[in-house]
Amino acid sequence: MTLLGSAACTPKAKTPLVVFAAGSLIQPFDDLEKAFEAKYPDLDILAEYHGSIQVIRHVTELHEAIDVVASADQALIPMLMYDVNIPGTEQPYSDWYLSFASNHLALAYKPGSKYADEINQDNWYEVLSRPDVKVGLSDPRFDAVGYRQLMTFAMAQNEYGKETIFNDFIDGQFTHRIRLVDMGDLQIIRIPELLETTRESHIMMRGSSVALISLLEAGEIDYAFEYESVIKQHSFEMLRLPDSLNLGNPDLEEQYARATVKLDFRRFASVDPIFKGEQIKYGITIPSNAPHPEEAALFIQFLYSPEGQAIMQENAHPLLLPPRGDGLANLPESLQGLRQGQ
Amino acid sequence: MKKTHFPVGFVIAASLMILFIILPIIITLLSVSAEQMLRTITDKDVARSIGLTFLAGAISTAMGMLTGLPLAYILARGSFRGKSLLLGIVDLPLIIPHTAAGIALLLVFGRQGMLGQAFAQVGLFFMDRLAGVVVGMMFVSLPLLVNASRDAFASVNVELEQSARVDGANAWQVFWQITLPMAWRGVLSGAVTMWARGISEFGAVVILAYSPKIIPVLIYERFQGFGLSSATPIAAILLVVVLFLFALLRWLASSLEKNS
Repeated sequence: MTLLGSAACTPKAKTPLVVFAAGSLIQPFDDLEKAFEAKYPDLDILAEYHGSIQVIRHVTELHEAIDVVASADQALIPMLMYDVNIPGTEQPYSDWYLSFASNHLALAYKPGSKYADEINQDNWYEVLSRPDVKVGLSDPRFDAVGYRQLMTFAMAQNEYGKETIFNDFIDGQFTHRIRLVDMGDLQIIRIPELLETTRESHIMMRGSSVALISLLEAGEIDYAFEYESVIKQHSFEMLRLPDSLNLGNPDLEEQYARATVKLDFRRFASVDPIFKGEQIKYGITIPSNAPHPEEAALFIQFLYSPEGQAIMQENAHPLLLPPRGDGLANLPESLQGLRQGQ
Repeated sequence: MKKTHFPVGFVIAASLMILFIILPIIITLLSVSAEQMLRTITDKDVARSIGLTFLAGAISTAMGMLTGLPLAYILARGSFRGKSLLLGIVDLPLIIPHTAAGIALLLVFGRQGMLGQAFAQVGLFFMDRLAGVVVGMMFVSLPLLVNASRDAFASVNVELEQSARVDGANAWQVFWQITLPMAWRGVLSGAVTMWARGISEFGAVVILAYSPKIIPVLIYERFQGFGLSSATPIAAILLVVVLFLFALLRWLASSLEKNS
C-alpha cells in the first residue's frame, strides 16, 4: 500500500525509455543514462546489456518493446533487422543506422596472469595455446567479440606465416569442432550450432565478452579478448594486437575482409548469419516498432551532443565524427540535423 | 469422518493459488508441438544435460546427507550455547540471493580461492566443472535437508532413545537403530526436497559453472541465444520428467509407509 501511495504522490509517471546495448557499452552508457536523466527528468532509461547478437534478437525474435538498439557490430543491423519484417506488417524492424563509434580488439590480462612477463605481440597466440593458460572467450554465436577473436586467430596465420596457429589454439577445446578453411586470401571459420568446451579445456566460454571481466578480476582466467575501451575502463593490463589483427584500422578493411565467420545454424535461427571481417564499428538505431521513438531520438541526439561526446571520450570510447551511417535518408525528422556534418 | 467446513473465501483463494501454479505448467506443455518435442527428446545435448543435472543433484544431496544429518541430529537433540546462532547459520543460504551465493562460492572455490587452491593440489577443480555444479546446488539447498531432518529427529520420542541407552546401546547404535528408522520419512522428504531444489538452481551454479550446462543453464542459453521456440520444448520435457519423478517418489513413500 505504501508503494501505491508514494506512486500516487508523484506528480507525473516517468516515461520509460528501453535501451538495449552491447555489453562493451555498459560503462559509457551508464554514465550517459545518468546525465540524460538529469537533463530529462521525465524520462527513465531502462538499460539492458547483452552480446550484440542477443541485443538484436530481443527485438526481432523475442519481440520485446525496445526503443534504442546499440550493437558492437553495425553489420548486424542490416543483417538481422533490415531484412526482417515486423510480424503482420510489411515494415522491416529498421532501415537505418548511425555508425557511432569504433574500437580495437586487444588482450586483457592482470599482472598475476600466467606468463604475463613474457607475452608480447609476437608470441601471444602461442602463449594462449599453452594448456596451463586459462583463456576466456566470448561465445561467437551470441557476441561480436566472440566471432572477432576467431577472425584474429585466423588472420594471425597470415600475419605470422604459420598455418597451425588457429588449430593449435582451438583443437580439442570444444565438444563440437570449430573449423577453419584457410585459403590464404579467404579464410572461412565455421561455428557449429552447439558449442561447449570439453571437460579438460583450458578455455572458459561465456555469453558475452563483458561476462569475462569478473572472471579475469577473480583470477579464474589469465587472458580474455576485450575491446580496448573496456580494458581501459577496468584498468587491466593490455596487450595491443598489431593493426593487421585488431580490426580497428580503417585503412586495412581489405585485409580484414579476407576472414569470414559462418554460423552453421540448421535448426534454430531464422537466418544463417555470416560475419565478414571489417573495421569494428558500433551501430545504433531505433526499431520501427519502438514504443517511444521521439524519446529514443532524444537519446541519440544526446549521445552526439557535446556532453555525450565528452562522456564517451572519458570512457576511452570516442564517437566517430562527423556522424555517419547507413540509410540516413530514413533517419527520424529530429535526427536529420546530424547529417549536416557529412 | 466428520466433514470440515471452510469459509467460501478460503476455497476460492486456495483454488486461485493452485491455478497460479498449474496454469503456466499446462500452457508450457500445450505450447510445444509433438514434432518439437520429439526433436528435443532426441537432442543428445538435452539428454546429457538432464542426466548431468540429476546426477549433480544426487551427488550434492548425498554429500548433504553425510554432513547435514549429523548436524540436524545435533540441532534436534543438543542444548548448548550458540545453538540459535547455529540455527541461523543453517538458514543463511535461504536468504542470500543466489547470484551473491555464486560469487561467494567463486571466491572460495575458484582458482585463487582458499579451498579452490587446496583441492587443485589433488586435481579437483570447480570452475566450469561438475564439482562446481555440485557445490552451487549444495549451498542453496542444504537448509531444506537439515531443517526437515532436524524436525524429524526432534519428533522421535527421547525416552525411546534413553531406554535404549539404559539397555546398553551406544550413541551411534541409538541413532542408527532407533532414531533414524523412526525419522526416515522426514529425512527422505528433506532429501527429495533438497535434490529438487538443487536441480532447479540457476543463479549460483551459472557463476561457478556455465558449462557443463545443467538444464536451467541450457534453457537460459537456448532462450537467450535461439529464442522461445528452442527453449520451450526443453522446459516442457523437464516438467514432464520432474512431475513423473515426483509422482513416483510420493507413491514410493506412501507404499513404504503402508508396509511398515
